[in-house]
Amino acid sequence: MLLPDHEFSKPANLQDSLAKLANTSGEIKLLAGGTDVIFNMRGRLFNPDVLLSISELPELQGIEQLADGTVSLGAGCRLTELERHPLVRQYPGLAAGFRAVASRHVRNMATLGGNLNLDTRCWYANQTAEWREAKGRCLKTGLKVCHAIKSSDICVALNASDVAPALLALDASVVLASLKGERTVKLADYYTDDGVEHTVRRPDEIMVRVLFPKNSDRMAYIKETARKGNDFAYATIAASADGQGQQCSRVRIVLGSLTTRPVLLLKTATVIGERGLDDAAIEAAVTEVRDELGALTNLYTPAAYKGRIARVLVRKALLQLREL
Amino acid sequence: MAGKRQVMMLTINGDDYEMLVSPRQTLLDVIRDQVGLTGTKEGCTTGSCGVCTINNDRGEAVLSCLTPALEWQGKAITTIEGLEVNGELDALQNAFLDYGAVQCGFCTPGVLMSARAVINGSGRPSEEDINDGMAGVLCRCTGHIKVKEAIRNVASYNNKT
Repeated sequence: MLLPDHEFSKPANLQDSLAKLANTSGEIKLLAGGTDVIFNMRGRLFNPDVLLSISELPELQGIEQLADGTVSLGAGCRLTELERHPLVRQYPGLAAGFRAVASRHVRNMATLGGNLNLDTRCWYANQTAEWREAKGRCLKTGLKVCHAIKSSDICVALNASDVAPALLALDASVVLASLKGERTVKLADYYTDDGVEHTVRRPDEIMVRVLFPKNSDRMAYIKETARKGNDFAYATIAASADGQGQQCSRVRIVLGSLTTRPVLLLKTATVIGERGLDDAAIEAAVTEVRDELGALTNLYTPAAYKGRIARVLVRKALLQLREL
Repeated sequence: MAGKRQVMMLTINGDDYEMLVSPRQTLLDVIRDQVGLTGTKEGCTTGSCGVCTINNDRGEAVLSCLTPALEWQGKAITTIEGLEVNGELDALQNAFLDYGAVQCGFCTPGVLMSARAVINGSGRPSEEDINDGMAGVLCRCTGHIKVKEAIRNVASYNNKT
């Protein structure tokens, strides 16, 4: 089946891309690896007037350590390149996050920016257009109806990024460029509770880089999924801590693939930060998890399962962390 | 219609093609329908099955169904038809025959191009390398055991030379 009709544009540099983005009236979708955008165009969920290819912009490349130690990852870097880079391998939890995405085939194409901006997923919306026609449109396609969760007046599609939890555990920020210049947004503030407008990226902006401070924290990363290859996660966890053994004070725990955004578990992390990684503290922390997650839906897996897998993963990750 | 066709240069298996391509066509559409190399198959078209796998100019496995053809302007790719050189089958193709790593054959082009990428990436792939490189391509009849035996055979041959 052919893709929906659109204009294909591939400017040579960032400036021209930003100008195209700012000066085009119709809807534009950014194309990097294509593994998510083309999938959604095939399903007629995306019907852009213009497909703007940013896959080879030199300004989006590069993996480097800045003078102050900050690690800078180009948003256009492919996941295969990232997971194998010596600088990334100094952060094994992050490398695991890159490696967790889909399959080698997809990682050879997909980019860092693409994964962080992955469209949210739902068993209703991510079907073929013909399949969806039986029930009609939904919040994602312009109608105020959610077919996945009947009572919902907001899109609850899941954020399925495997990379975001790992980067959140590293306290990463993203740099967004527009014709007006660059702005830096904490990744923790980047996602929203709305599955449709699920990031704060404005339509005239392109994500150019991801930054995180140099650190020697430990990180545990687990993707819970049906099969190792190619599957989206039931849930993903990234947990980082300073210190060693049971001793730690700075702790970050992030759960992914459970809601429209990755969730930073602040209270849970505080318990560990105050009490350390002994068995009793871990159990005390686990009891905080469900409340911190807020409302969960029966999307893909039952809400009860989501709450349970979240607690199991937090315990598992903290126990792993202790051994790192 | 919004999408203007564009003149595109593409090198497939060492042969240069100049074509008028629509933005609506994926790389897979061009390879199969425009160039007529139908060895590359269309499967799920959603990135799950891997039967549309080709190799890019770095010899890596990529999915031709999930990328617009125009993205490949001026690039070189290898498809299943490019594995055979001057009538000689590729070492992997011979190994697949020897080990019976083919049953219905529909996924075989994708499996072979994925396997080729594993060997390209590391002439001496470890068990982990093989699993990693082959997880993205599905065979629902032969299974993956014989396929892995064939790849290991080529890898061990490489290890000796």
